[in-house]
Amino acid sequence: MSDESPSSLDAIIATYKAGLDRSLIRRNLERTVEERLETLMQLQEFAEELRRAGRAAGVG
Amino acid sequence: MTDFKALLRTLTDSGVEFILVGGVAGTVHGSTRLTVDVDAVYRRTPQNIDRLVLALTPYHPYLRGAPPGLPFRWDAATIKRGLNFTLTTDIGDVDLLGEITGGGGYDDLAGTTLSIRVFGIECRCLTLDKLIEVKRAAGRPKDFEAIAELEAIRDERSRGDRT
Repeated sequence: MSDESPSSLDAIIATYKAGLDRSLIRRNLERTVEERLETLMQLQEFAEELRRAGRAAGVG
Repeated sequence: MTDFKALLRTLTDSGVEFILVGGVAGTVHGSTRLTVDVDAVYRRTPQNIDRLVLALTPYHPYLRGAPPGLPFRWDAATIKRGLNFTLTTDIGDVDLLGEITGGGGYDDLAGTTLSIRVFGIECRCLTLDKLIEVKRAAGRPKDFEAIAELEAIRDERSRGDRT
């Protein structure tokens, strides 16, 4: 449990909310749950490929 | 990589009673954030623990991040002695939670779930409101941005009535 009081937590969350790209959220809400999970797996695969590339280049 | 489809299928095919929480539950509700594991609250009845053991045994569950060779046994006695397990398996990472902060256990959460059908699998997922509530209760700084996004999703839904 954090020491954040509800009011300070609200303020922090409001700051994050202000910086959100809502167009990404709206586009994601148009997808089905299955499409969202498929995208998640593709992103994981992409991230893993990037890590592999980084290691191969000697930066990972 | 975590094979979400395989993990969900394994648990449901074995009749494990569980509720999706955490990042995958966020994805179900429309979150765009990347998550790499499945967080699930499992019911702590002896029968369900037995089903959980049988479901994951073929995939060699082991404590995630622990050095190899520890005397970890994936069996009912281990699950009964413990509560929350962060595991790695042959089909991906899974956090099996007996309880979560601000939400309690499976039976406490069961009334605040929705049934989803995904990849032909039917399972239970925490509602968006409850997901926000438990993340707020946990108060972990790493969740602040996720809470903001989930609340924005709730705003968007109330505007457009999207599911």
